[in-house]
Amino acid sequence: MQRAPITPRDDWQQKVSSAGLVFHSPEGEGMDRPYWDESACYEFTAAEIDTLEAAGNTLQQMCLEAAQHIIDRKRYAELGIPPEAIPAIQWAWNAEPPAIYGRFDVAYDGQGPPKLLEYNADTPTSLLEAAVIQWSWLEEQFPNRDQFNSIHEKLIAKWQDVAPYLSKPVYFAGLDNAEDQLTLAYLRDTADQAGLPTLSMWMEEIGWNAGRQAFVDPDEKQVFSLFKLYPWEMMLQEEFGPPLLDTYQSMRWIEPIWKMLFSNKGLLPILWELFPNHDLLLEAHFEGSGAVRDYVRKPLHSREGANITIVRDGQTVATTGGPYTGPAIVQALAPAASFPDNLKPGATRHPVLGLWMVDQECCGLGIRESSGLITDNLSSFVPHCFIS
Amino acid sequence: MKRSAKVTAPLLASLALSMTTGCRKPEMQRCVDENNKVVDDKLCASQPLAGDSQQQRPDGHGGYVPFIPLYHYYYGGWGGYGLGSLVGGGSNTPAEGHSYINSTGVRTGTVRGGFGRSMSSGSHGSGGAGE
Repeated sequence: MQRAPITPRDDWQQKVSSAGLVFHSPEGEGMDRPYWDESACYEFTAAEIDTLEAAGNTLQQMCLEAAQHIIDRKRYAELGIPPEAIPAIQWAWNAEPPAIYGRFDVAYDGQGPPKLLEYNADTPTSLLEAAVIQWSWLEEQFPNRDQFNSIHEKLIAKWQDVAPYLSKPVYFAGLDNAEDQLTLAYLRDTADQAGLPTLSMWMEEIGWNAGRQAFVDPDEKQVFSLFKLYPWEMMLQEEFGPPLLDTYQSMRWIEPIWKMLFSNKGLLPILWELFPNHDLLLEAHFEGSGAVRDYVRKPLHSREGANITIVRDGQTVATTGGPYTGPAIVQALAPAASFPDNLKPGATRHPVLGLWMVDQECCGLGIRESSGLITDNLSSFVPHCFIS
Repeated sequence: MKRSAKVTAPLLASLALSMTTGCRKPEMQRCVDENNKVVDDKLCASQPLAGDSQQQRPDGHGGYVPFIPLYHYYYGGWGGYGLGSLVGGGSNTPAEGHSYINSTGVRTGTVRGGFGRSMSSGSHGSGGAGE
C-alpha cells in the first residue's frame, strides 16, 4: 500500500460535479485541499485487497454473532438503547426485513492486519464517491488497473433480491443536505435499475395519520417501504418515535431497526469480549470498566468525528467538540497509519479505509484521509487502485 | 476484476445538475385572505383567478367590474399551514424554477414534521445525517 502523487485530470471539478459530487470543494470550512482529492491515489497490491476483502467478510460474521449475543443477553442498556425499542429490534432480528448496506471503518497501512475502528451500518455516506466517482476516475486515469469496487452492481443485485419483500413504491427520505440528498439519489438510482418504483421526500414531510395508524407521504398515500438516511437513535427520540415502534411490523424501514446494534460504539467492547485479541480488533471497553494505556474515547452515538478524545501516556493529545454526550467507550489507539503529504512537504496524511458491505459481502473500498488523527467531516476522499 | 463493469446513475447526475442550477426543496403554497392569514385551500380553489372573470356591480347601476378575489395563493416564505396563522416573506406569484406543495396533509388530519428535527437545525455537525 502506498500513497502516490498524481496529476489531477484537467477540469476534474466539472467531471466529478456532473457525475454527482457537487460538494467536491467545500468553501470556508477550514479545509486545505478539496474534499475530492485526486492529486494523489492509494495503490495496493492484489494481496492487500484480498486481505481487506477477507477482513470485511470476517468482521461481518463477528458482528452478527455479537448482535445475537446482545439480544440473547439483553445488553441493550449498555448500548443506550431504550427499552421500548427492544420488541421491535427482536422482531426485526428474527424476521430479517430487508437490509442493504453498511461500511466498516478500519485502520490499515499494508503492514499489519486491518483493525476495526467502527461500523457505520445505519446511515453511511461517502457512498457515491466510492461507487461512482472513483470508478469514473479509474476508467479515465488508469483503465488497465483494477479497483476494489463492485458496489454499484452489488447494490442493484441486492435491491432485486429484496424486491419481493417490499411494497411499492419504495420511498427514500432524508434531510435537506447536499451530501445526504445525493446519497439518496444514488441509492434510488440503484433501486430504479433493479426495477423498483421509487419516490423521494424529506424526512420532515413524512406524515403520521393517527386515525389511519399509518405513515403517509405528502399526497396522503400510505407508506409501506421507506429507506431513511436518518439515524435510528434520533428517530426514536423524536415526535414520531412512539407510533413508529407501535407500527414497526407493518412497514419496511430500511435500514432495519436492529442496525442500532451495529451502528453503536458499544459494539466494539462487546466484540472484544467475544473475540479477545482477535487480529482485526482493537482492545475496547465500556468507559470505567477497563483500562487501556493509549486510547480513543468515543461516545456511543457520536458521528463524523465529533466528541472524540485521544489520550496517550495519560495526556490528551487531541479532542473534538460536538453535541454528543452520555456513555462512551474507550478503544486502544490503532497503529499509526501515515503517508507523506504530496502537497505539504514534511507533513503526513492519515487514511481511514471504508470497507463497503452489501448483502453481507465486502464489495468495495473508499478512503478518507486527514492531517490529524481524527477523521471528521473535513477529511478528504482519495481514490484508489490496484494491479491485479 | 473487482470493479463494476458499468456504473450509470442518471438520477444522481440529474439531482447534481439541479443543485448546481439552484433548484431546491419545495416551498409552501398556502391559501390566504387579504390579511395574509391562512384559510382553507378550498376557498382559493373555488373562485376564479383575478382578471379571469367579472362580477355585476353591486350598486344597482348595471354593468360589470373586474372580480377581485378575497383569497389568493401565497407562495413560499415563513409561517405554517395552520388555519388563521400569519404568513410572510413569500410572494403572491410563484417564482420561476421553484416548486411548491400545498397543505393537503394538514387538512386531512395528518401531522408532519415528527422526524428530522434533531439534525435539521445544524446542531449536529454539518447538518447531514450520514456518517
